[in-house]
Formats: sequence, C-alpha cells, structure tokens
Amino acid sequence: MIVRVVEEAFDPQAETAAFVSGRDDAGALASFVGYCRAATDGTEVSELRIDHYPGFTEREIARLAQDIHTRFGCLDLAVIHRVGKIRPGDAIVLVAALATHRGDAFEAVRILMDYLKTDAPLWKKESGPAGARWIEPRAEDHGRRRQAGKEVA
Amino acid sequence: MVRLVFLGKLGDAAPAELAEIALPGGVRTLSDLREWLGRTVPHLGQVLAATPTRLVLNQVVAHDMSAAVRDGDEVAFMPPMSGG
Repeated sequence: MIVRVVEEAFDPQAETAAFVSGRDDAGALASFVGYCRAATDGTEVSELRIDHYPGFTEREIARLAQDIHTRFGCLDLAVIHRVGKIRPGDAIVLVAALATHRGDAFEAVRILMDYLKTDAPLWKKESGPAGARWIEPRAEDHGRRRQAGKEVA
Repeated sequence: MVRLVFLGKLGDAAPAELAEIALPGGVRTLSDLREWLGRTVPHLGQVLAATPTRLVLNQVVAHDMSAAVRDGDEVAFMPPMSGG
C-alpha cells in the first residue's frame, strides 16, 4: 500500500503507471484524480493552500486506506495527497486500487474518496481576488460519508 | 517547554510565539491549557470558543480534557477538517 503526503507537484499518470508496473495478479485498476479548480461556485481561485499535521495526517490517511483495503479485498491501494500551496490545474489527490475484478476496484476508490473528503486531517484555504476563506466539508460530502459508512458496515 | 500546533483557521488566530511555550504555572491539564490560552490571547480564545475544536496530545486525539500536560508534550488544536 502506498500512502504519501507530498508538498511538491506530482504526476498522477506517472504515479499510476508505477503503481501497476510489474503486477500480473490484478484484473482491474480503478483510479481517481482530484484537481484544483480555477473557480469555486463562480468565485475565482488563484491559490489553494492545504495545511496538514505532519505525522498525524499521514497516519490517519493510512488508517482509512488500510480499512478500505481490508474491507474490499483489494490487491493494493495507493493514495497520494498534495499539501502546501497548490495552483489551479494541479493534481491534489490520487487514489488508485488494484483488484481481481472491476467491482471491488471501483468501490474501493469511490468509498476511500468519500472517507478522505470528510475524515482526512487536512485544512483548505482558498485565496483569490475576492479574499481568502477556510473551507469546511459540504453537507453533501457528509451525506456521502454516511452512505459510505453504511456500505462498509 | 510545550509545543503547540494550531491547524487551519486557528493557525491564523494564534501568534507565532505560541509554537513553543514554557508550561505556564497552574496549567496541569488540557482544560487548564485551553483556559490559559483564552486568558492570555483573548482573540484566540474567541476563535476557540466559536470553533468546534479537537485536541491532540502527543499525536493522539484526546477524549479527556483532564488529561495531564507535561513538559516536553505536544498539543495540537484541530478545527473541523476540510477533508481531502
């Protein structure tokens, strides 16, 4: 399992290729990449800053990933999350799952992302011409997280 | 010395000199520490009062505000998380 919290830009395609390289046991790879948008709800974003708590954040993300790994019987999981100052167009997060069949790979990625959206110890601040603001989870993220909790319960 | 970590918007409200402090007299527990912060840095106290905040003692989430704080400890203050 790969869990990395990184301050520098990363290439999600290259990371995904490295993740699957040499594997001949998996029948399915599913992956998700989240990107920094240039606008949120019509408000221009020039920079996103993500704070983390070094050590604690990595362990919590690893714990969430291990939980999904076990529940979905994935062959392997990868999570790479960017922190620090991020420009629009940059990749923020990569989640990838290898499984024997596609169903488990799709589900592992979807549910791990739902967990990360609400439970990852990360704090986001968007800055733009209209000022800066800290972001809190949206009601729809909590709704998805509750649903995810039921699905894995 | 005690290391204090203020995350997210709490970091904007906390002066940099709070990153490492001598354990103040009379502060024995997490609850004492939080009260001391409110008295010493009123602006931070206001933000803490208005923000649901979880405390993390030496990298473990604290569920008991009567937990002891000792010299050499690290205490983090976590506002609601934005998520990934």
